[in-house]
Amino acid sequence: MGTPKAALEWHGSTLLRRTAAILARVTEGPVVVVRAPGQDLPALPPGTEVVDDPREGLGPVQGLAAGLAALGGRAEIAFVSSTDMPFLHPAFVRRVLRAAQEGADVALPVARGYPQPLAAAYRTVLAAVAERLVAEQRLRPAFLFEQCAVTRLDESALRADPVLAALDPALDSVVNVNSLADYQAARERPAPEVTVQRFGTLADGHRGPHQVRAATVAAAADATGLALDGHVVAALNGDQITRDGETPLAAGDTVFFLAADAGG
Amino acid sequence: MAPGGYFGQALVVDAGTGTASTLPLPDELLRAYLGGAGLGAWLMHRLAPPGAGPLTAQAPLAFVFSPLVGTPLTTSAKFAVVAKSPLTGLLNDALSSSHFAISGKLTGYDAIVVRGACQRPSALLVDGDGVRLIEASDLWGLPAAEAEKRLRSRLGRGWRAAVIGPAGERCVRYATISHAGRHAGRGGLGAVLGAKRLKAVAVRAATKVAPADPEAVLAAARDLRARSFGPATAKYRELGTLANLLAFNAISALPSRNFQAATFAGAPRLAAEELAQLRTVARNSCASCTIGCEHIYSARGGKQMRVEYENVFALGPMCGVSDPDAVLAASARCDELGLDTISAGGTIAWAMECAERGLIDAPWLRFGDAGALLRALSEIGTGEGVGELLAEGSRRAAELVGGGSAEFAPHVKGLELPGYEPRTMHAMALGLAVNSRGADHNRSGAYEADLSGDHDRLAGGAAHAAAAIETEDRAAIMDSLILCKFLRGVFREPFGEWAALLSAVTGWDVDGAELRRTARRIVLAKRVFNIREGWRPSDDWLPQRLLAEPVTTGSGRVATLTPERLRGMIGAYYTGRGLDAQGRPGEADLADLRLR
Repeated sequence: MGTPKAALEWHGSTLLRRTAAILARVTEGPVVVVRAPGQDLPALPPGTEVVDDPREGLGPVQGLAAGLAALGGRAEIAFVSSTDMPFLHPAFVRRVLRAAQEGADVALPVARGYPQPLAAAYRTVLAAVAERLVAEQRLRPAFLFEQCAVTRLDESALRADPVLAALDPALDSVVNVNSLADYQAARERPAPEVTVQRFGTLADGHRGPHQVRAATVAAAADATGLALDGHVVAALNGDQITRDGETPLAAGDTVFFLAADAGG
Repeated sequence: MAPGGYFGQALVVDAGTGTASTLPLPDELLRAYLGGAGLGAWLMHRLAPPGAGPLTAQAPLAFVFSPLVGTPLTTSAKFAVVAKSPLTGLLNDALSSSHFAISGKLTGYDAIVVRGACQRPSALLVDGDGVRLIEASDLWGLPAAEAEKRLRSRLGRGWRAAVIGPAGERCVRYATISHAGRHAGRGGLGAVLGAKRLKAVAVRAATKVAPADPEAVLAAARDLRARSFGPATAKYRELGTLANLLAFNAISALPSRNFQAATFAGAPRLAAEELAQLRTVARNSCASCTIGCEHIYSARGGKQMRVEYENVFALGPMCGVSDPDAVLAASARCDELGLDTISAGGTIAWAMECAERGLIDAPWLRFGDAGALLRALSEIGTGEGVGELLAEGSRRAAELVGGGSAEFAPHVKGLELPGYEPRTMHAMALGLAVNSRGADHNRSGAYEADLSGDHDRLAGGAAHAAAAIETEDRAAIMDSLILCKFLRGVFREPFGEWAALLSAVTGWDVDGAELRRTARRIVLAKRVFNIREGWRPSDDWLPQRLLAEPVTTGSGRVATLTPERLRGMIGAYYTGRGLDAQGRPGEADLADLRLR
């Protein structure tokens, strides 16, 4: 495509930054990016960890081994994602993680016609198994699945989650971009619909809620005539506070804009 | 000769005899403690007998001015009232503002300290003719504003007065001292004055004090004035602090029903955005202020009320009351009586929960009942019914009532919590727990860290502790210079810019690094005073409810503040402050306090 997928522009941010921020939001835990040795990465959200894949070109199981090992001792379960899924929705991640938390070693979505090993949840103890498979040159995820308990989540199982069914009914979360045409098609889609409310002096008589299309917090601010400067902060879904305009949004999100000074 | 902006002396008055003496304040001491809350802490170390009860005659109470008072620097017309708190038994400083600050300083003293007690209700007068006590029995029982008006009318032009209301006279432990409708509100210093049978302290300017570099001060004043009109203060100018209410509700940071929830369904009815459209009648500002944060609202019956976030929080959501007329009426009642609205609301909310649990015999006292709120306030003012119990504040009242009610008494060190939900604001939780004054949002602005986006506000740790220290240090300097905290957002490099202001006024060669050391000294001086007066490490803690009952945010995330997390943050705070594991400073820090 001429540009590494991780660095592909995405509504003023990058695909990798979006993916890392979505996962950080859902998991509250460490987010690890596995890169090829020496690979240049675009800017990442604060707190994102980067580990080097010790061996380049060995495919997804090698990446799994490195990433799961980096999380060992800090998390029991990891959601593993490739960088090229621009519509990955938090509700999808939550649904898959929940399946793993119910006891499986791997929660594997089967959606849009294919198993999705790079949009799946894994127990971090599988790092050792993956490492052994790499050593044995058995480099396909299917070999890993043979060695552990896998819960497969077909589309009906995924959509049984009412939140996911409402917010990502077509399961676009697993759409990836493998070509320039894929990327351009994805980029041409409208940004997700989100709800915005402005409080205090920012409301200026129009507190909302307003429905806008915005892929980032900065775009949501812009859509409501605000500048995300040092005097304004955003609260995503009433929860985390951010000044980072590149914070990604997903369909159904709510963004509250507040004055940064909360003195009372 | 005193440095610019200072007189180099404090006036120490014996209210029992009407006599006074002068306490020299050397240059080096003023530079170490600046003024306001800082100098007040040193004065209490020096003048308060160890262990003296705050409501005893020997307990001193100080009105402390600062080097910036009287300059054209915006928001500098402020003063600190400092004494041992009858609510906490620890050091308390409460700030107020406007003309009393200017006239008080221009009596020729950097502080006026009152000890002893009068035989009968009196007013203390200080001006160029010296000190005298006058009979004030005719003012006793009057609301503070009315008493102030009558006293000024009697004394004539040029006099300014700080006055207590009926609650101070009755020694309600959270009574305020008022001046021109503004209150030195927290910690019950009105009761300290009431115990001295002093209805008022009145001052009249008698002299002048020049800054070291008048041109530099004027230039700085022009610059600050221009910056004070910018976006950093827009919230205060346009809506006032009440703008917090709806925003806090949206982010689950609005305590309600005695901290049983972090949101309040009735919040929109009380919001600044609504009230401003329907009821704003005027804006007002303190003397020497260009921000003008005060928003005057009309209330039922034609009354006009200053409305702030904290009084609406405490008398509204905290008590489950959503009727704006009732909340405004309750605020007006607190002003008339001279009650701190935060402690009044917190104590009444605690009592409402006690009544619902059958722990106190007051079946009429129910969350959401506006009539009950107003009745409770009146009984606090008169001492009738539940008033005598509630006049003690939630900590002492819970000790008297028992039945597990201490676990939901909303205080730290005896001071009722302000409207910042600790479970969803972990940096603020730490700030509230460790602050010397008790649960306080003005001496620790750690909520800034929670709302900065730099930290996960639901996962407090070492970074939150560092942020809490930083905001506490900034507050220590602002409260000692003194500058209004609503101005803080205009400073890009606060310590350096404050040092430049101080240098221009005093002539000292002060830099930001020195002011950082000064901030630390002031914070530690307060802590050391408290240690002397019986503080224990277990006092740096939060109410059990906040550590045992989670709340849920809008995203569905469960917000929990565990004892382990709080303990970890307190440990990081102690380490960052250079304290030992028990929260006590070492010998080097003690020597730096210049207390010996």
